[in-house]
Amino acid sequence: MNVTVCAMDAVTLGDIRRVHVLREDRLAHYPEFRAFFVRTFALDDVALDRPGYLRGPSGSVYELIFLGRSGERFPSGLEIYALVDALEPMDETAVDQDLWQILRWMFAGVGGEWRVETLDETGRLYRIPAAVLV
Amino acid sequence: MSSHEVAALSGSAEGIELPDWLRAQWPYRPRYARVNGYRMHYIDEGPGDPIVLLHGNPTWGYLYREFVAPLTAAGYRVIVPDMIGFGLSEKPSIEQAHTLDGHIANLTALLRSLDLKRITLVCHDWGGPTGLGFALSNIERMHSLVVMSTWAWPLPPSEFHMRMFPWRTMHAPLVGPYLLGRHAALVKRGLYLSVVDRERFRRQAQAAYEFVLPDAADRLLTWAWPRWIPIDNAARALSRFSWLEEQLKSCTLPTLLVWGREDDTFSAEIFPQRFKQLLPHAEGPYFVTGRHFLQEDSGPEIAARIVEFLDTHRLRAER
Repeated sequence: MNVTVCAMDAVTLGDIRRVHVLREDRLAHYPEFRAFFVRTFALDDVALDRPGYLRGPSGSVYELIFLGRSGERFPSGLEIYALVDALEPMDETAVDQDLWQILRWMFAGVGGEWRVETLDETGRLYRIPAAVLV
Repeated sequence: MSSHEVAALSGSAEGIELPDWLRAQWPYRPRYARVNGYRMHYIDEGPGDPIVLLHGNPTWGYLYREFVAPLTAAGYRVIVPDMIGFGLSEKPSIEQAHTLDGHIANLTALLRSLDLKRITLVCHDWGGPTGLGFALSNIERMHSLVVMSTWAWPLPPSEFHMRMFPWRTMHAPLVGPYLLGRHAALVKRGLYLSVVDRERFRRQAQAAYEFVLPDAADRLLTWAWPRWIPIDNAARALSRFSWLEEQLKSCTLPTLLVWGREDDTFSAEIFPQRFKQLLPHAEGPYFVTGRHFLQEDSGPEIAARIVEFLDTHRLRAER
């Protein structure tokens, strides 16, 4: 999968812009997914202090913005931004493949009945280009 | 515009303008109503007792394109709304905008603003829980029901909806927005897999469904609705589905059940029988060629069956 969590200080943010690539409004629709992100990014301690960062197989870095909603456990949602050269178009194919690998990394981390093989099979059923490559 | 004021505006003024190829298949005058703050598109064709045709996920009124002409020709007024979030209606951009009760209230606002009475409600997929929600709380406006490939009770809706592959996986956190949003999995492949004559569907209809949901954000309800199907006791709409089931047990509206023989989402062996237990007086199930989107394979046949059903009840009432 080659998705790695980057420590904040390991990410060199040069002349970049943030491109919104995915949003989840209900991270706890299945609560084990919310728990996975809390665990992985120590969100019980970090809370809203700083984003999370992931490096995808392409080498690109993705910023994870965790969202809070009154009345719900934090985080209730998540936005993913690709960090790209400030003035250059985003490589959409590479980002899409990275996102698929991030989903596979997430499934592996959540574990239990959420199996990477089932995700791959689902992606192939719907002919998702990145899933066909796996 | 007040909440119940109904406007008949041109497509270009308020909604998506349809290209010629699509207007040739869906030539009806676009109309708009403001419901609970949202802009709802619908068509309203012909005079007579009203038949309201309700679609579900991820379709729009176009699903009933082969119903409108035969039903109006038979002397009925045909109203086909696009659910908020689909078709030519407004598409809210956050998931929390969508609730089952909210969608029932949206339909209620439209049908009350039109002051419809003696309504025949034709329900399919999420048009089932929303349409039946309206019918059972506005019984004095109702005449009859036609129920197709849907459900109206709590746990579990079907074995299909409990499976990890593909159902629960495809709308899991982040996976839903990726698969169904970015890649339009339900609008493209999902619809295609859920008809019998796939080649005909691909050639004639697929583009019309994709056209009205062009961007990832437009497709939000395609992954929000699956998350409203109750699969455990924490489900958000559990009490509403329990209410629907209880109300149906005492419902005496004339009812016709129509199902696709090949339906593998709401199984033809199980679901119509469950409705039959709740509504023992229901006619049918009448089986046609069709998977979940049976209108695509058997539209004219189902429309003719509805006319026959309504004519029978009209004659009975006149005796």
